Amino acid sequence: MKLKLALLSAVAASTALGTSALAQQKVKVGNLVDYTGATSSVGKISGPGKVDAFNWINANGGINGKQLEVETVDYGYQTQRSIQLYKKWKDDGAVAIQGYGTNDTEAMVGFIAEDKIPYFSLSFSGHLTDPAGVSAKAKEGKIKPAPYNFFGAPSYSDGTRSLVIWAAEDWKKKGGSGKPKYIHLGDNHPYPLAPKEAGEQLAKELGFDVVPSIQYALAGGDFKAQCLALQASGANYAFMGNTTGANVALLRSCATVGVNVQFMANIWGMDEAGMKATGKAVDGLVWVVSQNPWGADVPGMKTFREISKQSDPAGASYRPLPYVRGACQVLYLGEAMRMADKAGKLNGEGIKAALEGMKDFVPFGTDGMCPAVTWTSQDHRSVDTVGLMRARITGETEQGDYTELMAKGVMKLEKVADIKVERKPGWLGY
Amino acid sequence: MALSVRPAGDFRVSYQQDRTIFPTRGSTLWCIVGILFLCLLPLQIGGKSLVSSYWLALVIQIAYYGIAALGLNILVGFTGQISLGHSAFFGFGAFMSAYLSGKHGVPVALSIPLAGLATGLLGVIVGLPAARLKGLYLAIATLASQFVLQDFFSRAEWFTGGASGANAAPFSLFGYSLSGDRKYYYVVLFYLVIMYVFAANLVRTRDGRAMIAVRDHYLSAEIMGINLTYYRILAFGISSVYAGIGGALMAHYTSFVSAEAFDLLLSINFLAMIIIGGLGSVMGSLMGTVFILFLPEFMQSIVRGIQSFGYAQSAAFIEGLAYMKEMAIGMAIVLFLIFEPDGLAARWRKIKAYWKLYPFSY
Repeated sequence: MKLKLALLSAVAASTALGTSALAQQKVKVGNLVDYTGATSSVGKISGPGKVDAFNWINANGGINGKQLEVETVDYGYQTQRSIQLYKKWKDDGAVAIQGYGTNDTEAMVGFIAEDKIPYFSLSFSGHLTDPAGVSAKAKEGKIKPAPYNFFGAPSYSDGTRSLVIWAAEDWKKKGGSGKPKYIHLGDNHPYPLAPKEAGEQLAKELGFDVVPSIQYALAGGDFKAQCLALQASGANYAFMGNTTGANVALLRSCATVGVNVQFMANIWGMDEAGMKATGKAVDGLVWVVSQNPWGADVPGMKTFREISKQSDPAGASYRPLPYVRGACQVLYLGEAMRMADKAGKLNGEGIKAALEGMKDFVPFGTDGMCPAVTWTSQDHRSVDTVGLMRARITGETEQGDYTELMAKGVMKLEKVADIKVERKPGWLGY
Repeated sequence: MALSVRPAGDFRVSYQQDRTIFPTRGSTLWCIVGILFLCLLPLQIGGKSLVSSYWLALVIQIAYYGIAALGLNILVGFTGQISLGHSAFFGFGAFMSAYLSGKHGVPVALSIPLAGLATGLLGVIVGLPAARLKGLYLAIATLASQFVLQDFFSRAEWFTGGASGANAAPFSLFGYSLSGDRKYYYVVLFYLVIMYVFAANLVRTRDGRAMIAVRDHYLSAEIMGINLTYYRILAFGISSVYAGIGGALMAHYTSFVSAEAFDLLLSINFLAMIIIGGLGSVMGSLMGTVFILFLPEFMQSIVRGIQSFGYAQSAAFIEGLAYMKEMAIGMAIVLFLIFEPDGLAARWRKIKAYWKLYPFSY
């Protein structure tokens, strides 16, 4: 009917509006952030990290003199919007994209492989680590090759494996008798479920008694029932699969019930904002961090102070872990783009080649903050060492923000161990 | 309503004339021209594309969401039932098609309609409570099915791949691959036309009119001999077929299906599409889908415009704009519902009537 025409004329009109003139000398990059969607608690911290890192690269000469033209868009954690943005950026000639969550990243794997656009994500899912499709999972058809996906961090599965390895050592050290019990806690959701198999498998191999997992909602809530079930299960080591918000609720509920378990969490499972919200109950939690907290006495902190000044000229802000984690992904990309540009190939393939040539590489002298990464054309597991930290709370966390609490030492992050998680061929792709 | 916008002396003297989809030859012609125009969209002439892949992707999304929205409109707008679980059916269709084509080697061309039928069957089962429940009670029953299915998606590893999600094979027909937006577009367009023509015809049949009777006054309908249970469940079935086909089209478009995508929010979005488009209007479903999918893109283009003014690259500014954008989207929907409660379809009829008689409207 005529409606179809109306729709089309609208499409045509907005096309004319949408195609704005592009500056030719600039290098276009897309940047997805989530400030308003389901994962905004992490997105609001990591997003500014990514933006600041881009601005910092531009302020320091850009890509060998070429400025980056970054379009940062809040997509509200909605897949269809991320696909739209991806297509738009592709049309605009973006050479690389900083992506965001599980859903958008995995929905994009096929598109970016076809269009040859490197895609960094804050989803550290093990599914994204098999670029050539050689893993057992790929052969079974469970995952597809992800040649253009990158992230510089331990994958969810490797993070979980490192916790299991640590727990086994910890049990021995404490002189525990008999078989320790391991339990996976989490929602029926891709993020908590992604490392479940890897964790439980390794726990069995290392002599744990794996007890049936308990479900708690990602959205948070009152989890006293789950805590009572956890207590009844007799678990010694409890892996919390959910993200920070739900973990805060779980830890608080379990403290009320009085559960005596060693809690562990994955890389997005806790941060300083979460520690403040949890208070005393978070004390003793061991989780995957793989970087140093803000203000640590490491060489990389100098660069990060400069990056932080992009949005906080006074330099007074304390930046929680996700800020640095987000910024690091931008820095890896920035270095790769410089290398690709020097080689005269500042395009998707050139950037991929530069990234896959990195060996124990730390971008822009950020030692101690961004993990040293190694990518090859056969294996995109960027790191084989996972840093674990323990949360320490020495007082009340209700007064003051996390900047003050960290400065006063009421909240502390203690280094626990660096756990070596080998790049076993059998562990590729999950 | 329809009579008031017809010029004097133009009478309908038979049922056929009254129930026709295209009241005039002009409208038939426009429709054909419109579809032909849509067929031209993905063409590339001499390396230059007629429509950028951004707009093409948007049209593809409008098409598959539009099919699913139409399904919900048949259930809500035409039969007067309610469903808060439409996105779960949409997801079931997506997973089913990926499952059939991936694990059982069914050609994708066949797996899409099969997924639609399977989803329809599921819809009939889930719709059974509709035989007994009405209004808010039915809403809660369908809400439950949303959660049950969502849970099923993340657990049933054999079917959905669980947490890893499922890969969907690319579309091919007789050995000719139709992957890539510019080819796959035609598959989606084909389904869009077929499904909309089917729905336009459905409401003209005995069954369609029975559904409308159930909506308008269930007691009178029953007295007239309409089997309420049958038609309520049938509506659930048909609506699920639409959802399933829409979902399957999405699956083979993104070639990946994740349980995360089919949450309650999407169900609400489907409801928003048909309420904004116009309840009980076939074309309204498509218009509402266009509105809901365009709005964020439109707002984003404004944000983009603001950001292009130099200083706007700071993290705080981008964050502020993100919130403004979300609020503006919400505001636009609220204002729309206040000033256009009958939906876009009603507004379109008014515009048509105005111009048909311009400048001598009576």
